[in-house]
Amino acid sequence: SAAARRPWRLFGAMCLLRLPRITQPLEKEEEEMVALMEQIELEKSCYSDHEIRKLEEEEQLKRKKESLYDEDEARGKTVIMAQDLEEKWEQKFLQFKAAPRVTDADKSNDRKSLNRKLDSNLMLLVKQKIGNQELWLLPQVEWQPGETLRSTAERAMATFLGDHIQAKVLGNAPYGIYKYKFPRAIRTENNMGAKVFFFKAFLQSSDLSQADLKADYLWVTKKELGEYLKTEYLKKVNRFLLD
Amino acid sequence: PCRAQPKKKKKVDVKKEQAQKERMKKKLKKLEKAAPELIPIEDFITPLKYSESNRVRSLPTLSPEETERRVLLLKKWCLFKQKQDEAEKKAIKALVESQQEALKELRLESEELYEAAIRRDEGLFPFEREGPSYTPPLPGYDPPEGKCIDITKVYTQ
Repeated sequence: SAAARRPWRLFGAMCLLRLPRITQPLEKEEEEMVALMEQIELEKSCYSDHEIRKLEEEEQLKRKKESLYDEDEARGKTVIMAQDLEEKWEQKFLQFKAAPRVTDADKSNDRKSLNRKLDSNLMLLVKQKIGNQELWLLPQVEWQPGETLRSTAERAMATFLGDHIQAKVLGNAPYGIYKYKFPRAIRTENNMGAKVFFFKAFLQSSDLSQADLKADYLWVTKKELGEYLKTEYLKKVNRFLLD
Repeated sequence: PCRAQPKKKKKVDVKKEQAQKERMKKKLKKLEKAAPELIPIEDFITPLKYSESNRVRSLPTLSPEETERRVLLLKKWCLFKQKQDEAEKKAIKALVESQQEALKELRLESEELYEAAIRRDEGLFPFEREGPSYTPPLPGYDPPEGKCIDITKVYTQ
């Protein structure tokens, strides 16, 4: 019943994910397969209009070199050859410089930046005081009566990132739970421990300049979580994180 | 006598007109009953100019080592994809288990919160997101101007 005092304190935590912006590099087998598929496609294809034009012009050039009746054939022929067109296109392509896949933030390992590791998911970790310890955790706040756990998690996000954060919360149900008992010193009959319910959200806006970051924060990938989170906590968090 | 004849003419005309109309309606019905002409799928009809003989590509035939290499690569690919699929399924299973455990614990806590958690989230779908590209967007890039004119043929039945 809701009236009875439960011995577990409830917390709502939000796992905010920044989704990848670029594709992951291909594995070795995938690269080999791509090469094979391209080869097979080339073998099964027919000549395109451009290729036929190129072949004909090559024939013409050969005939011009061997014999000298280019006067008759040159009448009414275009000046631009297919080969010239190809070179022009190649030049244009080389002039274009795409944005680099490995950003400056990657090189400097700036873990506070959202521009790092553009091909993987980044998660928000904040430093919070639990008891008398400062720990790295997913942002969490205690549940207050009258709100659903999802709103608790959203409030946690707003507490650490400000109100102007655009995130899509994935559903009303929690994704994971971390249960722990308080150390014997503060454990009582009515206050045995805490249950932290995790919710997941996708970050929609990539611009966090408006965000009012109050505490110490980091954006880390799933692999780097092990450097910051405690083992038991990490085990529970890893279960609901897809790489 | 002057009155009777014009009246007959009118009657005969009216009857003839009605007969004509009925014939037209019957023809229309016959046409409608006939099966409608199928819309040709342009992708499945190869234009004749691509079946000419000069279009056939001349490439050296594959050596037996090459075919052997291809077969082995396909087998390796098969195994790779199977492992990838198994890993995905395992990850999804872990996700579902984690969620079920969380909901079970929540139920033990409070029925009210549990009910709120298992309620359907109406705002979640339709969920739209642009997929990742090969390179990140270039800040300050000015794409070249151009107009796209759609020349697809539209058939009506």
